[in-house]
Amino acid sequence: MVGEVIEKPESASRGWTQKRRQPWLLAILSVSIVLAVFIAAGMGAVRVPLWTLAGHILSGGSLSDDQRIILFTIRLPRIMASLLVGAALSVSGLLFQGLFRNPLADPYVIGSSGGAVLGASIGAFLLPPISAAGFGATALLAFAGALGSITLVYWLARVDGRTPVVALLLAGFAVSTMLSYSSYFLEVMDHDFGTGMRVLASWLHGTIAQPTWPQLAIVATMLAIGLACSVPLARNLNTLALGEEYATHLGLSVQQTRIAVIVIGSILTAAAVALGGLISFVGLIVPHMLRMVLGPDHVRLLPATALAGALFLLVADTVARTAIAPAELPVGVLTALIGGPFFLYLLRKTKQGAM
Amino acid sequence: MEPLVEFAQVSFAYGDRNILKDIDASVFENQCIAVVGPNGAGKTTLLRLAAGTLAPASGQVTLKGRDLRSLKQREIARSVAFVPQNVEVPFSFTVEQFVEQGRTPFLKMFGGLCSADYEAMRRAMELTDAWSLRSRVFNELSGGERQRAKIALGLAQQPQLLLLDEPMQHLDIGRQFEMIDLIDLLRSQGIAIVASMHDLALIEGVFSSVWLMSPGEPMRQGSPEEMLQPEILEIAFNCLPRHRARLSERMRNRMEHVL
Repeated sequence: MVGEVIEKPESASRGWTQKRRQPWLLAILSVSIVLAVFIAAGMGAVRVPLWTLAGHILSGGSLSDDQRIILFTIRLPRIMASLLVGAALSVSGLLFQGLFRNPLADPYVIGSSGGAVLGASIGAFLLPPISAAGFGATALLAFAGALGSITLVYWLARVDGRTPVVALLLAGFAVSTMLSYSSYFLEVMDHDFGTGMRVLASWLHGTIAQPTWPQLAIVATMLAIGLACSVPLARNLNTLALGEEYATHLGLSVQQTRIAVIVIGSILTAAAVALGGLISFVGLIVPHMLRMVLGPDHVRLLPATALAGALFLLVADTVARTAIAPAELPVGVLTALIGGPFFLYLLRKTKQGAM
Repeated sequence: MEPLVEFAQVSFAYGDRNILKDIDASVFENQCIAVVGPNGAGKTTLLRLAAGTLAPASGQVTLKGRDLRSLKQREIARSVAFVPQNVEVPFSFTVEQFVEQGRTPFLKMFGGLCSADYEAMRRAMELTDAWSLRSRVFNELSGGERQRAKIALGLAQQPQLLLLDEPMQHLDIGRQFEMIDLIDLLRSQGIAIVASMHDLALIEGVFSSVWLMSPGEPMRQGSPEEMLQPEILEIAFNCLPRHRARLSERMRNRMEHVL
């Protein structure tokens, strides 16, 4: 939308300072993602060199059966999963930051991911028939959990129409801890349902599971819905940044915007959690980095955030699964190690600013 | 002539604390009105009622003859712009991105800005002398610059009525005079202005009428000469009798300053 204005400047838009970095950035990110997919596909216990892979795509053949099976049943699904999870987490972070008018909001920090894990755990441990109904049901319960927890945190943290940093962080922390340990409680109570246990452990650590293609299709659909609905919301978030009263005066339906962000943010969180569990701080790091390049306009941030988030988590997950081979690190461990200090740095900066 | 905005028997209360009671007043095109009164008299409340963000407890506020409650806020915002006293922006929006929000009432859900929007923004920034500030970060502006950017946002709404909440606050005297020039300029462009004003010395010569509000008293209206009399202000602002001489002196200085 803004791209149109940038690409064909009209007489009225001459002299405007809109930075023209966005199309370039989107192109660079897209190319990087393609490259990263190729490199990541080649990395692991069975190496598939880049040229073998390129040869396979260009002319067909030239892959051994082993390589083919590893690529299409293991690596590519995993790569797709990390791209989807990264994009979903980053965009939901961007949406929540706009809603709370607070750059520290992130689906993990504000407890929305914790809610999704609890929702999914309830499915796995208490309602085996539902979880047996398949991945779609798990994703649906994760959505319900995310929606419930974000609503609770929002209600707890708001003071006179504002969301102070301290209130947001404390409410998010409390709700998040409560929900994660409720999931743990469910696991302990569940004596004879051994498979759920492994699933929960990987959820709590933030491991990108080895997904099947149908699972990926469900998550991709959720992401597509979330992204499509975010497009008209992005401009509203710019207006909302001026404060609720000002935004109301300007004709924004604040209540509708709020509900839409909560629902869409929860869909995206649920999409991410269903595949990756509790992966922290991605939704914080990615939008912040992009704000430094593109400025705070949500309309311009949205597509770049989706692409950069996908790239970020693909790189992180590839490092996580190859760095200490043959063992695998949960990617959540990696993002926490990078994101934790980053979060503290942001917190310190925000404290100095008048929040 | 039909008034732009009209208050008819308007009352308002926050909880059981009555703020406004039976206000009857009109704003006509080209009028420039200063709303004065002690803290808590309801100046900002009156502006919010005119902007449609508050609804009266009884009575009605009309915009060109139509009850504000029957209008969508988007429609109101295309005729009436409210410039709040304090604006807190959590992200580092540039002045340009900030002023762009003034086009919100004109945008469709999926539409971007068109050249008419840019034209309105440019004109708003040129009038307020904020064009040169357009790439600066709003949060890093000085008080006077920030005030200009806020008014530019209001003008980007292309309003017929501009409501200014304490436009002179936190401005040094040089910036106050600039603000007076700006108000004069906007009036000459045919925009009606209602501004809540703390500093009585800045009213005469700029504003055509004064609305004097005082807690528990009916609102009084008149020309600045009529309203800015020590005897009237003494009662309205609840000055102590022993400060009577000081008040008279302050008001006499004001007259000399204007002459």
